[in-house]
Amino acid sequence: MWILRDMKDEPDHELLTGVRMLGSPNHRVLTQTSPRRDVCVSAAVTAFTSWLTLLQEPMTRKTIPCLTMRATLIRLLLLLAVLTQSPASALESGAVVSARATVTMVSAQDAARAGDTVDLALHLRLAEGWHIYWMNPGDAGQPPRIELYAPAGSSVSDLRWPAPKRHVDGPVTTFIHEGDVLLPFSVTLPAGLDGPQTLTAKAGWLVCKDICIPEEGVFRLTLPAGVATRSAEALLFDAARDALPGMADWQAAVSADGVLTLSGPGADAIVEADLLPADWGLVEHGAAQTLTVADGSAALALQPGAAFDPARALSGVLHVRDRDGITRALWVATPGAATQRAPVVLLAGGDAPLPAPAGLAPAAAPVADGFGFAWAVLFALAGGLLLNLMPCVFPVLAIKALSFARLGGHAQRTVRAQSLAYCAGVVTTFLLLAGVLLALRSAGLQAGWGFQFQSPVFVTAMAALLFVIGLNLSGVFGFGSGFASAGDTLASRPGLSGSFFTGTLAVVVATPCTAPFMGGALAFALAAPAAQTVAVFVAMGVGLALPYALFAFVPGLARRMPRPGPWMDRLKQALAFPMYAAAAWLVWVLSQQSGADGVLMALVVLLLLALAGWLLGVAQSGASSAGAWRTGALLVALLAAVGIARAPEPAGTGPSAGIAAAASEPYAPARLSELRATGRPVFINMTAAWCVTCLVNEKVALSTTGVRQAFATRGITYMKGDWTRSDPLITDFLRQHGRDGVPLYVYFPPDGASPAVLPQILTEQIVLDRIGS
Amino acid sequence: MLFSPRTSRLLMSAALALLPAAALAAPKVGEPAPAFTGVDAHGKTVTLSGLAGKTVVLEWMNDGCPYVVKWYRSGEMQKLQRDATTKGAVWLTVASSAPGEQGHVDGETALRQTADRNASPTHFVLDPKGTIGRAYGAQVTPHMYVIAPDGKLAYMGGIDSIASTDPADIPKAEPLARLAINEVLDGKPVTKPVTRAYGCSVKYAN
Repeated sequence: MWILRDMKDEPDHELLTGVRMLGSPNHRVLTQTSPRRDVCVSAAVTAFTSWLTLLQEPMTRKTIPCLTMRATLIRLLLLLAVLTQSPASALESGAVVSARATVTMVSAQDAARAGDTVDLALHLRLAEGWHIYWMNPGDAGQPPRIELYAPAGSSVSDLRWPAPKRHVDGPVTTFIHEGDVLLPFSVTLPAGLDGPQTLTAKAGWLVCKDICIPEEGVFRLTLPAGVATRSAEALLFDAARDALPGMADWQAAVSADGVLTLSGPGADAIVEADLLPADWGLVEHGAAQTLTVADGSAALALQPGAAFDPARALSGVLHVRDRDGITRALWVATPGAATQRAPVVLLAGGDAPLPAPAGLAPAAAPVADGFGFAWAVLFALAGGLLLNLMPCVFPVLAIKALSFARLGGHAQRTVRAQSLAYCAGVVTTFLLLAGVLLALRSAGLQAGWGFQFQSPVFVTAMAALLFVIGLNLSGVFGFGSGFASAGDTLASRPGLSGSFFTGTLAVVVATPCTAPFMGGALAFALAAPAAQTVAVFVAMGVGLALPYALFAFVPGLARRMPRPGPWMDRLKQALAFPMYAAAAWLVWVLSQQSGADGVLMALVVLLLLALAGWLLGVAQSGASSAGAWRTGALLVALLAAVGIARAPEPAGTGPSAGIAAAASEPYAPARLSELRATGRPVFINMTAAWCVTCLVNEKVALSTTGVRQAFATRGITYMKGDWTRSDPLITDFLRQHGRDGVPLYVYFPPDGASPAVLPQILTEQIVLDRIGS
Repeated sequence: MLFSPRTSRLLMSAALALLPAAALAAPKVGEPAPAFTGVDAHGKTVTLSGLAGKTVVLEWMNDGCPYVVKWYRSGEMQKLQRDATTKGAVWLTVASSAPGEQGHVDGETALRQTADRNASPTHFVLDPKGTIGRAYGAQVTPHMYVIAPDGKLAYMGGIDSIASTDPADIPKAEPLARLAINEVLDGKPVTKPVTRAYGCSVKYAN
């Protein structure tokens, strides 16, 4: 469900996903809450699952209502946005968001003409406890800096600083701003301009709490040409004007020993005064200031600093409280030569290249950039082919092996038809997978390779399906419309639908695995136009099917298969066990995803299916009143289906037990940027309990003593992102690195060099080489 | 030992009165540098009196501070250390971060980090209680001090003149600490003996 929420009430800026609504006066942001999105994903997944099991029902019939509902909602909300809009339009740039600050550039007017003076501001919304620094930061810290790219001939004003706050931390005194901070300045456009004006600012700010992080961003605003009226953000500027220090109407003078004297009406009413000097070194920032009031004047004894000179002007913000308890912040300045300050807002040189807004750019250029369509198809083909060697497909290969054994001795025509039916099953399923992913994406949902395994409903259904196939191979019951004999198995059915189904199954169980070459191809596919997406997915399907297509076109191959015989029955029974093993593994995935409740539900479903299988087997073995047995089987199977549909939702938000490791910390974007800012190396492992490739990599490469020691001695922070349940932060990270699924391994070197993406199949040596051990 | 309640109170208020002054007891250039005794990363005791007759450079360190990172990642701090120590100066890197705070290190970590940085201070002094830091009024990392061979404080302030975390600013800045170290080594008075120090606040124990 979509909700509107007020930015001010939302400290966790990191979770800000969604659309900025122009024109809403109080900065509301259209955001999405994750639980409801999961429901929609699982609705789509349920549809997908039921299609898989039934093979007849097109999934689109079930997903479309979900998508339509969402579209209607969005339309409704946009309408709502328009209705609540103030007449002025908003002028706010894209935001640079961290866990510490959300920063934008805003304009007080909504249009501009040649010669206009436009009020702009850097708007920093700081998280609780974090601060930035005033023009004189005090003993530590650094003020923000803004570089403005404006049309040639423009001029820019000083920053109009709000009154700062004194911040004392032991022997270190600083002057800071907290909370919602607006730093306004003005730019005067030259005469003779035409058309809309684009103003770009490159800004850097140091944000500190216990630690300090330098942040930066590029902000862009385009002002349409025309007569200016107040923008929605003008209210912010009004509020900022009130936060500016007022002008003191007292005479100020400073003595050679550092006593600041204020004289004039009301000066003797001051009962408390605190001077925050505007320049470093004139006054000791942390020293006590002693106030003495005489008739008509007040004297504040300051401790002169290293650069104190009574001949130079002493200026700053004076916080005062008078006898009536009224507090004010006033700007005071003594006569004398002014101190030269570096401007905080600079005009960038006329020929300086315009930087790109950083707020939207990913941390690293996606791998998919410059990845041509032809390469993507080639990589997809190779990836699909290699997928045959990944452990996920083993159970299905077992079925396939059986069907090929069965084919031995058949006419080449039959062999070809069977192989092609399998290939068709594989490719069709890839096509449907592409369709589902595209549909989810066009609805604005984040989904990637293997995403369906994030749904406990899907995982339970897959466990049930593999278990049922196992029961079938064990000979508990037979498949087939005629139910001719209990021994009939799916894979041994002569019908082409059996082969087609096996192909479908191969794709579905293959998705928890990622083969080399697939990552880049998939990322390309999901960012490309729909036609190319489909082409890449088809290529991947062809790759997966390729070894079997050989049977269709190389006549000699089928003849080399051993002749069918009684050995096949035993082989068939033996092949039930990979199925049970796969089902057991999926139940473990559920234990990671939805805990003990999920496991219990899955086991109940499996128990019911075993009962249904037995009942059906009795009916098929020619028992009297077979109809009643069959009805019983159907009822129990329906009960199992209900159980699947009601699989418990993912529990908790922490990393699942199978993922959490002692030496790692959970992935958090804020922590990553903090470590990066301080130049520490970080190794990121994006994984999921259902991702077989990930688990294998962890066992053979990442958990080895060699790698663990190398991490420890090189001071590498090892962060793990757990995608077992859907997590938009991890999906964002994957997409920033040109990926659409797990595993993803990224190493951020200590020297701030660009991060390195590691291959999807790891060895200890690959990891050690990459971290330079 | 026994004091009457009244005497205790008097002593306490005297101590309290001294506290703000103690917190700000920044040493003065031209006066004897505050004496100190510290322990280095190897567990060896380092005293200022033991270094009499030598030029001593103090560098305040917090490896997580972006301003310190700027100087080490660019290799400029290491260069400055080598230049100073080959000319006979004693370089003391001091970490005054309290336990649990950013930049707090034990001896082993300090040695490993020094090796990783390819840094060459004469001693890495561990000051987790902040005693030395407070005695010198060290406020930021990297805060720099130079003590002349006669034991008098000759320089206190910034490492250079541009307060930023951008290594590209180093060549553009006036190398204040380097100039001061060279002048003291050459036996000359320091042209700019007190400058603005910039960086992260020192993470003292509260």
